[in-house]
Amino acid sequence: MLKTEVMLLEEVAMFKELDPLLHSQLRLAVISLLASLEEADFVYLREKTSSTAGNLSVQLEKLSEAGYIEVEKGYSGKRPRTTCRITETGRKAFEDYVEALKSYF
Amino acid sequence: MEEKNLNQNESLEIISRMIKETRTNLERDGGGIYLLWGYLWLIVALAIYFLIRETGDYRVQWLWFAMPIIGYPTMIYMLKKRDKGIVTFIGRVIGNIWISVGVAAGLLSLYMLVDYNAYPILFVMALLVNVGVAISGLVIKFKPVIIAGFLGIALSFVMLMVSGMEQILVSAGFAVIMLIIPGHILNDAKRRAGSAKRGGNVKNGGNVARGGSHV
Repeated sequence: MLKTEVMLLEEVAMFKELDPLLHSQLRLAVISLLASLEEADFVYLREKTSSTAGNLSVQLEKLSEAGYIEVEKGYSGKRPRTTCRITETGRKAFEDYVEALKSYF
Repeated sequence: MEEKNLNQNESLEIISRMIKETRTNLERDGGGIYLLWGYLWLIVALAIYFLIRETGDYRVQWLWFAMPIIGYPTMIYMLKKRDKGIVTFIGRVIGNIWISVGVAAGLLSLYMLVDYNAYPILFVMALLVNVGVAISGLVIKFKPVIIAGFLGIALSFVMLMVSGMEQILVSAGFAVIMLIIPGHILNDAKRRAGSAKRGGNVKNGGNVARGGSHV
């Protein structure tokens, strides 16, 4: 094995794997927002991430299925309101993601 | 925002941009609530003072109950109107402080109906509200509110040194010191933060990578 190949392999081994669930533009944006807040509603998340309602719904569902966020459907007055909170699992996954990201720099 | 493969730089950019979105003085929601209670307190106190002076009838003091009757519904309306769709940790702490202060103030006022001379109500109220102001100031780390709160706590004891009509007048002064002045300062700070943010967005449009290095 060439010396350069060995160096390359060592370099690759240094990089930690990035959580594929968070390594997506919209899901990462949602988790980053929720990591700094107690809770946020659907409208706030849609505005801040500049996403479409349909796409955001799908990604929230994926995060919820993984146990990264809690989604609560309720009402604000007469209007339906969906509220999202990050879970401990989600917070840990986000911290691990940021840690893994650091290894690339 | 669409689904696409990210590189590491883009990931950092997203994280820093989103965190920044949540960090723009969210906890400093302006002084609307302070001004509501401050002006309500000032108007009611002055009204009671002049009405007693004109009529000599101390039953006018029932007017104090106009404060919760007008104040609470207006506050609930204001809070609903400015709902941003999010709850921050600091926002929840501040809210809980004022719920506790409100419950204590309500019970103290109601007990007056049982025993009018149980405690010097205006002193106790001033102390209670000033403690709320001081804690809120410390939580949001905003010096004018901290100063107003602690100054108010110290000045509350003036209530014990004056009596009768003067107490009502001093209490009107408290409304100015502990609620109206900090309320206007908070509004001013929010306005300046808002214009700085707007200016900053134009100036640094899209330049989020720099912030990313701090993640």
